[in-house]
Amino acid sequence: MGRHNISRRGFLKLAGASSVAITAGITGLPSPLKASAAQEATRGARFLKYDRGVKTHNFCEMCFWNCGVDTYTRNGVIHKLEGNKLNPNNRGHLCAKGNAGIQSTYDADRIQSPLIRTGKRGEGKFKKVSWEEAYKYVYEKLNPLVDEFGPETLATFMHGTGEPYPHMLTMAIGSPNITIPAYSQCMGSREMAWALTFGTGVSGHETFDMANSKHMILFGRNMAGAVQVREAEDFAEGLARGARLTYVDPRQSESAVRATDWLQINPGTDMALALGFIHVIIRDNLANMDFVRKYCYGYNELTKHIKQYSPKWASKKCGIDAKTIEKIAWEFAKDAPNVVAIPPRRMTRYGNDTQTVRAIAILNALMGNWGVPGGIFVRNKVPLDFPKEDMPDAPDARRADGVGEGEKYPLAPTTLGRTNGIYEATLTKKPYPIKAWLLYGTNPLSHSSIGVNNLYKAIDNLELLIAIDTQFSDTVMYADVIFPESTYLERYDAPYIQKDKTPFIALRKPAIKPLYDTKGCFEICKGIAKEFELDDWFEKSPKEMQEELSQVLNKEQMETLEKDGVLLFEDVDPYPNASGAALNFSTSTSKVQLYVKDLEDMQKKHGDEFSPLPIYKDPAMPKAGEFRTLFGRTPHHSHARSQNNWVLLELQDDTPVWMNPEDAKKMGFKDGDMVSLVNAKTGHKSDHSERLKVTKRIKSGSIFIHHGFGHTTKAWTRGYEKGTKENWFISDGVDPLSGAAAFHNGFVKVVKA
Amino acid sequence: MSLIQNNIKKEKNLAMVIVGDRCIGCDACYVSCKTDWDVPAMKEAFRTKVFEVEGEDVNGNPTIGFLPTLCNHCDNAPCVDVCPTGASFKRDEDGIVLVEPDMCIGCKACMVACPYDARYYNEEEQTVDKCTFCLPRISNGLDPACVSTCVGESRNFGDLNDKESNVSKMLKDATSVFKLKEDEGTSPNVYYVTLNY
Ligand code: SF4
Ligand code: SF4
Ligand code: SF4
Repeated sequence: MGRHNISRRGFLKLAGASSVAITAGITGLPSPLKASAAQEATRGARFLKYDRGVKTHNFCEMCFWNCGVDTYTRNGVIHKLEGNKLNPNNRGHLCAKGNAGIQSTYDADRIQSPLIRTGKRGEGKFKKVSWEEAYKYVYEKLNPLVDEFGPETLATFMHGTGEPYPHMLTMAIGSPNITIPAYSQCMGSREMAWALTFGTGVSGHETFDMANSKHMILFGRNMAGAVQVREAEDFAEGLARGARLTYVDPRQSESAVRATDWLQINPGTDMALALGFIHVIIRDNLANMDFVRKYCYGYNELTKHIKQYSPKWASKKCGIDAKTIEKIAWEFAKDAPNVVAIPPRRMTRYGNDTQTVRAIAILNALMGNWGVPGGIFVRNKVPLDFPKEDMPDAPDARRADGVGEGEKYPLAPTTLGRTNGIYEATLTKKPYPIKAWLLYGTNPLSHSSIGVNNLYKAIDNLELLIAIDTQFSDTVMYADVIFPESTYLERYDAPYIQKDKTPFIALRKPAIKPLYDTKGCFEICKGIAKEFELDDWFEKSPKEMQEELSQVLNKEQMETLEKDGVLLFEDVDPYPNASGAALNFSTSTSKVQLYVKDLEDMQKKHGDEFSPLPIYKDPAMPKAGEFRTLFGRTPHHSHARSQNNWVLLELQDDTPVWMNPEDAKKMGFKDGDMVSLVNAKTGHKSDHSERLKVTKRIKSGSIFIHHGFGHTTKAWTRGYEKGTKENWFISDGVDPLSGAAAFHNGFVKVVKA
Repeated sequence: MSLIQNNIKKEKNLAMVIVGDRCIGCDACYVSCKTDWDVPAMKEAFRTKVFEVEGEDVNGNPTIGFLPTLCNHCDNAPCVDVCPTGASFKRDEDGIVLVEPDMCIGCKACMVACPYDARYYNEEEQTVDKCTFCLPRISNGLDPACVSTCVGESRNFGDLNDKESNVSKMLKDATSVFKLKEDEGTSPNVYYVTLNY
């Protein structure tokens, strides 16, 4: 495979950059067998030199975590990325993906200029056009659609640091249909449950204080495999300091490595286990009653409700024996409040996800771990007043995805929307036709919840598909017009301001000029807006926004920020409860809501899924001979975005199908057999076969594959068709409370290839 | 008997101490190393690699662990012994084992001799290549590329002749210490430890 890959060195040769110093390694004539004295004298001298080059500050965009990055360039070529030691997101470290950011930038498969489609949709035939032509094309196609169907016919999907700009553009055009897949395709149900209980979401930068924890219960949250640097560090640190780890997952992931107890739970029954824990804690008087009395609402209701969920009952549902449930509940309570129960991050699983996380939230609340070391820390804002940016008024039009007051999903946030709802609306043309999509850094074909086949049909209903991206994803290949974005190593972005344990500001400055004819998302959206005479909204460029920080920061702070690339605000208290300060919760009762009174009416109207206390329901089950498809992240790739990065592909370029030995035996399969998956509902068969990995690490009845593979875009010369796209084999369910997707009720047959 | 066995004299005794149970198998080290040293784009080419080790405990339950590997900078280095040109050599000053590209004829005898599979042949540079303990970086005041990025803070680097160095302290405090394939008589300088802090 090596020869097909373009290393930076190869890239430079192609690009004809002759001035670049390449370590001389040319052996002239064969050396005499015995070293001469002169050779001996200089032997190894080359290994004493190291030219670090020029440092520029940045933050990582290989995933959403945005670790601090120092880029080092030699003669205008980025040589090395290092973690910024002062940035709280990563404290000097980068993960494999972060380290591989260079390889993604120096990738000749990138989009190199604006493009307009010439062939059939998805055929991959484009012509190179000027920026002006591309902007005009959008105007000429979109304007008639807006006239005919109203501005709400445009739906915009966003993921990445440039999000504010497509957001602004869409609002200015007048469509409310802005959607951030991180909600409905990922964290939505978790955030909803946390907000109902604590009045605030967990947030993207999670607030679990693992480094100081004495006992962590991870409910299907793979800290070591789905790597975000600070969390992985804190996880390893907590364990090194002797924390107990209860790891709950039908699959033994990387995070189970040093679990005190690995509970190989029945899939979809985490709520039963959490309710069982709560039962034991209340039954045996183990709750932190000081905290409960002071800060919690609905303890009596909870006490009554939880009686039905004994460990014996829970054991029948979740497959973990009652003694173990009791033991862990006791251990957990013993170490309270320095303990934490952690819900999944991507909580798009069984359709009962919000209520499952509600149970986990209640478990935390009973420990009184809010604002305590080793529990849940409190995020603090950067204590400065930033000037408010002018934003267009929120459009009046009704959203297409069922989000909003009086709609089917009244609790879901209009600022994030339901990406799955937009797919549905585009497919069904209800409540009104969606005729245009603007994709910014998102790839629906790799995070669909209505099934990939239906998504192709939805795309057929579009008259205009606009993409802004650094690379050709499967969905970008279907675009009518493509705007190439500069990578994070080539562009400025607005100051990065993070509310956190230690809040901070970080800067992104380009290390190199764009390698190709690309622009930042700001410039691109402004260019489109100009055609609509809406560019007044795009007043300040990211670079100007960085400069304007001098209006809120003093001279010394500005200097520190420029010098370090990050400015910390350390005079804050992430542990107000431990310090004896009074806590505030922005719920309707101003308390931690064990019982969510606000849901009472909704329960009457919509049923038990909206219950003020979590009510257990069995998950959908596969028929005999079928398997449940489970999937999750690998430490080596960022969602479905990095599978064309040569160095990450070296670490993983396939998705073996994990199967339990009992199941394999029944099926007559053995380890290493080549198999295909067939979706039991749609009949879709995987395009190519996968190696079977027979292992007790996966629970009988389920199979597992890694997420993010199986790309169909031929523009990816390395990542094309590597592994299986799990989207063909997952479910299209919806959690009724959050409106977020439910993927884990998809069932497959496994057949020999 | 001391855990640290020196059978040759070195001014410094550079070593890597890997806290085994802190490694989360993230492979950040692999990418950081390949990038810094322009290691060619092929799976066979690497200076450090982390293995996932699957097993079973006494009850038949599955177990997993991670094992970061790199050149051990052996005190009795078979790769150096077999090298016909002197391209592979061990530095007296700190014990680092290097390959001098100008002197390497590509006979690959060292690759066969190394019990640790620590070497690969670099077609682009026409030389055998391997971990240098990041000599260029450490000569200029930096940590090795793998150590500086290690997410689990599993990898530690320093001088065992300095009793105050972090690596010396770790070996002193370790509840268990092992080195790979010690029975080969290679006297490796990469230690795997368990700590109780
Ligand atoms: S976790 Fe890894 S990919 Fe994500 S921002 Fe940090 S270094 Fe980048
Ligand atoms: S690990 Fe292999 S290459 Fe390194 S010194 Fe020992 S024998 Fe030589
Ligand atoms: S960077 Fe550290 S934690 Fe990650 S695989 Fe390498 S040694 Fe292990």
